[in-house]
Amino acid sequence: MKPQELLAGTRFEREEQVFGAPWEARAFAIARRMTEAGICTWDEFRACLIEEIGAADRARISGGTPAADVYYTHFLGALEKTLAKKGIVDASAIEAKMREIVESG
Amino acid sequence: MTGNGHRTIPTGAALRVKALEALLEEKGLVDPQALDAIVDTYETKVGPRNGARVVAKAWTDPAFRKRLLADATAAVAELGIAGPEGEHLVAVENTPSVHNLIVCTLCSCYPWPVLGLPPVWYKSFAYRSRAVRDPRGLLREFGLELPDDVEIRVWDASAEQRYMVIPERPAGTVGMSEEELAELVTRDSMVGVAKIAPPARGSSR
Repeated sequence: MKPQELLAGTRFEREEQVFGAPWEARAFAIARRMTEAGICTWDEFRACLIEEIGAADRARISGGTPAADVYYTHFLGALEKTLAKKGIVDASAIEAKMREIVESG
Repeated sequence: MTGNGHRTIPTGAALRVKALEALLEEKGLVDPQALDAIVDTYETKVGPRNGARVVAKAWTDPAFRKRLLADATAAVAELGIAGPEGEHLVAVENTPSVHNLIVCTLCSCYPWPVLGLPPVWYKSFAYRSRAVRDPRGLLREFGLELPDDVEIRVWDASAEQRYMVIPERPAGTVGMSEEELAELVTRDSMVGVAKIAPPARGSSR
């Protein structure tokens, strides 16, 4: 039996896809681009990511349900917070643009 | 789909990312082609095949293995492997008495140039919390039962350092070329959640 087959039933699901959905790939690429463009360093972004993940971990440990349970949800939250801190875009601008996209859809 | 059926309007996170990208594009900070290129790089070019080449060379070239254990960033650069999250790479070697396991307890740090982006389970709360607290039990869930006298060393990615595991070379591989050996090396073995099985006899050719 190949290791992959052996492990197929374990709680840690095997998956070979790098990204679970196109938006995850996009969010990752935007974060990389922001560091390449010098908007923020990866360490600054990572600090925000650790905060987002840590908040969800603490909620889980204390028996509650974390606000989000998907890694890239935390990733996106961290990206937005980093960009807001840098004065690039804030949540209200993103929400306005979301409405614009929906209305022009 | 929308009511008129002409195109799909993204919702939730997908919509949020689309809006963010549009705003950044308006500011001239991103362009779609550059983002496509980044996605393509991490989906197809950077991945555990790079790490497998490193491991196979370490198995067959003792001088390289020595350099790899001394300064992994410099050693993998000899093979043309370099990039973000590989600046302070540390290679840790499994032996019959020591088994190494890598984790990032705080987030998702991972040696991208040699392993690509981490799998979903590596980023999960279950993996991050149990790797340190109960590594033996965690490995058992991955199907890896280690004898009690094998020491397990857990390497938690620090602010800078990224780790990769050099797994043990399996039995039955004497005389195999570096390329053939690289084919045997799995991502999981370089994270430390698996060993490498001896090659199956007569099944592949």
